[in-house]
Amino acid sequence: MATTTASLSLTSADLFDDSLSISTSKTLNKAGLKEGLDQTTGVNKVYLTATTNVDLITVPGATKDGKQNYVYISNESTVHSEYIVVSIGDKVIGRLYAGDWMWMPWNQQAAHLSDIEIAPSVATGMWVEYLIIHEGIVLTSSADS
Amino acid sequence: MAIINATLSVRSSDLSGNSLALSKTMKMKKHTTSSSTTDGLEFTSGLVRRTFTSLNHVDLITSGAQNYGTPTASDSNAANKIYIKNTGSSSTEYFEVGLGTSSGSGTATSDAIGGTHLAIGRLYGGDWMLIPGHLKATVGDVTVKPSTAEKMTAEFMVFFE
Repeated sequence: MATTTASLSLTSADLFDDSLSISTSKTLNKAGLKEGLDQTTGVNKVYLTATTNVDLITVPGATKDGKQNYVYISNESTVHSEYIVVSIGDKVIGRLYAGDWMWMPWNQQAAHLSDIEIAPSVATGMWVEYLIIHEGIVLTSSADS
Repeated sequence: MAIINATLSVRSSDLSGNSLALSKTMKMKKHTTSSSTTDGLEFTSGLVRRTFTSLNHVDLITSGAQNYGTPTASDSNAANKIYIKNTGSSSTEYFEVGLGTSSGSGTATSDAIGGTHLAIGRLYGGDWMLIPGHLKATVGDVTVKPSTAEKMTAEFMVFFE
């Protein structure tokens, strides 16, 4: 097993009269266990040149339902008006504008309903970075024709 | 406007052959149609803490008018953010976090394409998440379903336009 930690620092000096300072950290474990997650996609970076809604990762079956996974996605664009719409299956989570990132747990609950999907707002090219740390993902069968 | 910084750090020395040291900071900003300028988000729910003592599938964050304001929905361009944490320490007890309509009962609303609810994932003790907030009426509610009727506590904070 591996030891992986995910930490968050949320700060603001002027959102309130008092300053905001939230700090939290968590070791990423397998579902229901104190054993660390030991599989990852690694950090991926993709360049998207269409506004088509595409799968970042596909769930071809529900055999991993209940396993624990974590997902990081970042919109690497520097053009403030550009965004990606992030969805799970047909359910929109929200928009990541340029420079925004997200971190969430993810359950591969149902085939394709749990696919992680993104749709860029422009077709002029956007970089998107993502990472999945997981307890197993289902790879699709190879097809040579 | 306010300046709100959120920094994510994901680190491991043994997850793969090379050590993982991901660090990313975002400034929480309003959406803009300008390519070069934007202002920081300035509205928030504050840090809300709720305790649950049943297995019921309920709304944690409801879209529409709240006592802290009315967030604009993401599909109206808003760049909302939602932070949620399971404040517990159990490795077996969790909140199942979802989007859409809660059932109000011990059985979550069923998932289906075009259906009314979808599970995102599980927050075990100490787990946290930071996601963009859709917050559109009915489909943008954030739901939770505790895995146990024992006392469990969640904290959340909405940053919105």
